Amino acid sequence: MQSQKDGSIGMDKIKLILTLITIVITVVPIVGVLLANQGNLEGLFIPPEINDIADKFSGSGGSDGPQVEKVGPPEYDAASRTIRQTLEFKNTFPLDITLKSMSSDVQCVEHGFDLGASRIEEPVSIPMGETRTVTLLITWTEDAISHFRTEHPSEENVQVVLVNVGVDISGIQLQLDQNQMDQRMEIPNPAL
Amino acid sequence: MNGLLSKVNWFALAGGITTIIMIAASMVYPWWQLTVGDNLLTAKASPVNTTFGALGTSFAIPFIWALNVVSLLTLLASAVAMLIYSLVPRNSYSKHLLDFGYKKPLFIVIFFVIGLVATTLICQMVLSLSIPLMGSTTSTLSIPFLPGVSITLLLSAGFQWSFLVAIVGAALCIAARLYHKKVASVPSM
Repeated sequence: MQSQKDGSIGMDKIKLILTLITIVITVVPIVGVLLANQGNLEGLFIPPEINDIADKFSGSGGSDGPQVEKVGPPEYDAASRTIRQTLEFKNTFPLDITLKSMSSDVQCVEHGFDLGASRIEEPVSIPMGETRTVTLLITWTEDAISHFRTEHPSEENVQVVLVNVGVDISGIQLQLDQNQMDQRMEIPNPAL
Repeated sequence: MNGLLSKVNWFALAGGITTIIMIAASMVYPWWQLTVGDNLLTAKASPVNTTFGALGTSFAIPFIWALNVVSLLTLLASAVAMLIYSLVPRNSYSKHLLDFGYKKPLFIVIFFVIGLVATTLICQMVLSLSIPLMGSTTSTLSIPFLPGVSITLLLSAGFQWSFLVAIVGAALCIAARLYHKKVASVPSM
């Protein structure tokens, strides 16, 4: 009878120890983190790295977008009705990027006429803060050539605008509407 | 020797060992992984280690880290209890060890899946961002301060092999509970 009672007390002790272990391993880490972030409860959910990333973006000019400049005059290949324009693309984002694709429709600024489409020749990887050369290809439709002949017969350069611009940067696709940025450019008249 | 072997709860032994392997694997290999774009944003989640990556920076969220430590210690205690129990399943205290250990891996798997589903639903409701649990999808966001710009994100997610190890471990621990009656009823040699 005494041994049965001792056994029952032993069992209760084991059960109590296991319950205490459960409570301790549940409570201690959470209380520890709460104490570590005492006075800064926001820090429980927003670590300093997130603020650092936000600072990087606000300090790098990344919000202004990458800097793109034309290099030299465009080359025109009449056989393929394609203009080749070299651009210098500076990566102002605080990280390495890959410009995977860029495409758009091209319209005549004066008449709103659809002239063709543009795209970059090949994807380009650009390390943070560095500049790489990107080749932009604009291919005119046959109707576009007729448009240049009939509507701009004597103009040496014609103003065109890129519309429905889609850019794929490192798997993030940006779609820009016509009013978002100045996407106008002057191109030599292919009809001359 | 045969009598000694028949006293071992093999399911509990396998469950305990699998749980320890799962803990070690989960520290390195997440149970579930989400990638946005070409690794621009990542989330690597497991109950014992959850990290996020953004623009090349890796970080943990302190509150989730605390929950990870709770899960880690819980699984470790469960594995140790299952291992001790498996070798002496007929001792007077063994049933307590079994009861302490066998449910925890299953509960952690269930809570992890519930947490994931809840998180994806909250993202859908608050950010209008559709996050897949498995597979790939694209999600389009408009930026309030940049009218005329929309961003399309490619989101890829999936459960990893370490999640399968966790399910196997949880199943073995449940099997150990079912097998307990058989082991406990084997007459002493």
